[in-house]
Amino acid sequence: MNNDHLIELRHLQKSFGPQKVLRDVVLEIRKGETMVIIGTSGGGKSVILKHCIGLLQPDDGEVVVDGKVISSKNKIDVKTIRKRMGMLFQGAALFDSMNVGENIKFAVREHEKQHSEADLDRIVAETLHMINLNPDFRFKMPSELSGGMKKRLGLARAIALKPEILLYDEPTTGLDPITSDVINDLIIDMQVKLGATNIVVTHDMVSAYKIADRIAMLLDGRIIFVGTPEETRATSNPYVQQFINGQRKLLAEAD
Amino acid sequence: MPTDNRSRTSGSALALILDAAGGQFLRLLALLWEGLSHKIGRIGEVILLLLRILKRLPWFFMNPSLTLEQFIRIGVSSLPLIIVISFFIGAVSAVQAEYQFRGFVPSNYLGTAVCKLVIIESGPVLTALVLAGRVGSAIAAQIGTMKEKEELDAMTVLDLDPLRYLALPRLLAGIFVFPLLVIISDFLSIVGGWIITTLVLKVTTATYVFGLRFLFQPYDVLTSMIKAMVFGGIVVLMGYYHGLNAGPGAKGVGQASMKSVVASCMLILIVDFLIVYIAY
Repeated sequence: MNNDHLIELRHLQKSFGPQKVLRDVVLEIRKGETMVIIGTSGGGKSVILKHCIGLLQPDDGEVVVDGKVISSKNKIDVKTIRKRMGMLFQGAALFDSMNVGENIKFAVREHEKQHSEADLDRIVAETLHMINLNPDFRFKMPSELSGGMKKRLGLARAIALKPEILLYDEPTTGLDPITSDVINDLIIDMQVKLGATNIVVTHDMVSAYKIADRIAMLLDGRIIFVGTPEETRATSNPYVQQFINGQRKLLAEAD
Repeated sequence: MPTDNRSRTSGSALALILDAAGGQFLRLLALLWEGLSHKIGRIGEVILLLLRILKRLPWFFMNPSLTLEQFIRIGVSSLPLIIVISFFIGAVSAVQAEYQFRGFVPSNYLGTAVCKLVIIESGPVLTALVLAGRVGSAIAAQIGTMKEKEELDAMTVLDLDPLRYLALPRLLAGIFVFPLLVIISDFLSIVGGWIITTLVLKVTTATYVFGLRFLFQPYDVLTSMIKAMVFGGIVVLMGYYHGLNAGPGAKGVGQASMKSVVASCMLILIVDFLIVYIAY
């Protein structure tokens, strides 16, 4: 193993019924980088994230963090996963029955029993500050928030436990370009302020080019390309070109 | 020979018909088996879910407020419904008993009929059936929506075990709040029966109370409470299970609610029979 690699996906395979979603996913993610995984809708990008965080177990292959197998066909090391990772869900997945402050406090209160209520309020304020929001937001209910605001608060909840690995499932999907850019800046901020390793799943190329240190493309259940944003733009791989240029047909077919 | 040919032809036609019928029969058997094995699989899943929830029982002592919250939510929110239905169950029981007894049984025993019917059967069973619609469907809809909106996944990712934080408090609340609701229901049914008996059927209070006390068995109350606890568990478990298995979208959540009510009602009546069979 390369010591530089924090996370390794080794030959991941996953099927749902007769449908083989991941055929042989091999990918290494370096410590502190932002890896963006692109690919068509329904291609299995979110499935990769769910394997990384232990929500799904592979049919074959392994997820390795710091040289330790955390998920394979036979086991899931839930403890390590939960301690080191946080996730922003596609729809933010805020707990609807709680206000924003409670959403952020809930996990901290349960896992870090040493905190008093005053400490928890301070953590909420700090977390909201980190995502550039006023502490007064803690009293709002999720139903009162816009889509972009929900994503920001979903991120706040994910970082409240200070994870070193952050997973983002389609963070800019359904948002206007300006709000998307706010989210992009926050993802970059997390890398800088928390030193987090980010794995982002998206099909938004504007976002991918802005936040990625490297981009990986998933096609037919395999990673077919990995490169920096510049390498991605310049690649001659017809499938990558088709995707980043948003063409219905491959260039070769179009000719 | 022509006769031989004819018999051979009719024989082969018969064979074809039998083949076809046999094929259809086998197909039917295969379908039945598929349906049966699917149901058995689901029963296995429910039992496994129950065991997984019960395994987390010690967590109750870490955070009893979660169970208390559900206890109040299920109990208080169900109270208005219980009050209305119980009163009329008692009233209907009294009117029906009076009609059935007319000319055969003295009105001294009206109270006995209401009391026996209410405590042994209608109290726990009708309360549980109504709460299957009120509580079970609400749990299925809530858990189904949480699943749809990835809130359950979010809880798992934050190491907030949904079985511990959602399922266990609801199950315990269901098991312990149902008997209380049944006691309230029994009391109100008896009151409903008393009001109708004295005001409409012109039987004195003393006669009604005599009937109530006549043949009263504390053992009946005990079995009624056991039934209520089991029914409470069934309603919550069915709600949680069907919520977890809800399909996508509003349709999926709606179907999960409906299935939880249907499954709860069926199980309540089946288990009622089993308890009665064992207890009496």
